[in-house]
Amino acid sequence: MNCELAHERIVLAAYGELPDEQGHELDRHLAACTDCSQEREQLLALKTLATAYPVVEPDPNFIARSRMRLEESLDAIPPKRWYERVGQRIVNNFSSLQAAPVAAVLLLIVGAGAGTLGGYEYAAARTAHNAGRAAAAQAKLEHSRDTAPAEIANISSIEREPNSEIIHVTYNQLVPQHIQGSLDDPGIRQLLMLASENATSPGVRDDSVGLLAAECRAGHGCQGEGIRDALMVALRYDKSVAVREKALEGLQPYVAEDMRVRDAVLEALLNDGDARIRTAAITILEPVEADTSVRQVLSTVANSDHNPQIRTVSRQVLSRAPEIQ
Amino acid sequence: MDGPDRAQERLQARAPEMELIREAQAGSRAAFDALVRQYEQQVLRLALHLTGSEHDAEDIYQEAFLKAFRYIGNFRFECSFYTWIYRIVTNLCLDQLRRKKTRREDQAVVVDHSGDEIDVLASVSDNRSFSNPAKELDRKVLGERIQVALSKLTPRERMVFELKHYQGLRLRTIGEMLNTTEETAKNTLFRATKKLRTQLAGLR
Repeated sequence: MNCELAHERIVLAAYGELPDEQGHELDRHLAACTDCSQEREQLLALKTLATAYPVVEPDPNFIARSRMRLEESLDAIPPKRWYERVGQRIVNNFSSLQAAPVAAVLLLIVGAGAGTLGGYEYAAARTAHNAGRAAAAQAKLEHSRDTAPAEIANISSIEREPNSEIIHVTYNQLVPQHIQGSLDDPGIRQLLMLASENATSPGVRDDSVGLLAAECRAGHGCQGEGIRDALMVALRYDKSVAVREKALEGLQPYVAEDMRVRDAVLEALLNDGDARIRTAAITILEPVEADTSVRQVLSTVANSDHNPQIRTVSRQVLSRAPEIQ
Repeated sequence: MDGPDRAQERLQARAPEMELIREAQAGSRAAFDALVRQYEQQVLRLALHLTGSEHDAEDIYQEAFLKAFRYIGNFRFECSFYTWIYRIVTNLCLDQLRRKKTRREDQAVVVDHSGDEIDVLASVSDNRSFSNPAKELDRKVLGERIQVALSKLTPRERMVFELKHYQGLRLRTIGEMLNTTEETAKNTLFRATKKLRTQLAGLR
């Protein structure tokens, strides 16, 4: 141990701050070093001298006077408002995280994770939203460029403001829409039924009637009257032979049970301009050929149809009837 | 058996104090007054001995407890309330010592609130000198010389010496109170004793 270190340790030892093992080491050094021994003597002398300026216990009157003054000052402080106390509590709770570094770190990690996930979700949603908007904007742009005149369905009214160049034009616009769904979807079926009646394109009517007919033949939810009605309307009034043919096929399963269907088929047999439809109608009517109304129609057709083949077929069916009976 | 008993006593003593602190934090003035009564004597004793003036000591007492009242909500039980309140007091005392240092007021006597000098030494009983007036006078002169020597220390050295020598606190606690390390407090004490020895060299 050198003397410099010993001097420091002498001070610590004098004030009871030196660990025992270092104290023993210091004693050995002091026993051998006169300078350091003197140093210790001087320090102990200082300690003794310092007691000449002793610590005085404050006088009770002095304490009482100080307390009174303090109480007056405290009385003058307005009480803290509730929000100040709440704010203080929040600050304290937040600060107490410093005392719990693990909790603080965990909270940070959770917060960062949630933030990242949230940010990712937000960014993904925003990207998708932007892409959708861009696509919609692009589609709208292209649509407006290509089909701008066709978007106007009709002009309802035109009015001019008095003494002005301003014109008010009221018009209806066709907005193209697209929907996709199952054949069993009532919305899709409704659209198919509308298409079977009103579509300007025979192809669309053909497709819609074909789909509805296929549904009926397959027995998929065709018990209601909506689809059958649509098929009967198509059979009676559609100008396209192919559409009427498909409608007839769709109505086939109901010819025996539904009188209205049977009447529609009979009408087709009597009145349809196309021989294929009339022939198909005869075939369809086979399960109910013994029915009186059917026999009457078959008889009429057998006598008056201008197509010899249909007349022949009708006669053949009529000739089988007694056997059936 | 003494150790555990004393530790339990300390715990029992601290439990009501923690309750008082919580109540004071919730806005109870009565709880705060109770805390003041627990610590006022120690605060005044320290301030009086450090400043040598009743007036300054009373100002420090006022300011310390007003600060404590204002900021008791910030106390988070990370240290003892004793350390916390002493931290406030020692900071105020340091400010006071620095101001004194600037004014170069080397008061050798304790002055009461009315400005009159108090004979500090006369108020203390001393078995070695009570029957000897000559020794009593010597002791008084010596005390004034000590005060002068103490006033030559830097405020921080003065504070560390005060807390260690006169108040008997551990260096670790002193470090906590002065927001520094035990090692720094140790070095400061070493410097203070060295300076005092130089100052008081001819007195032995």
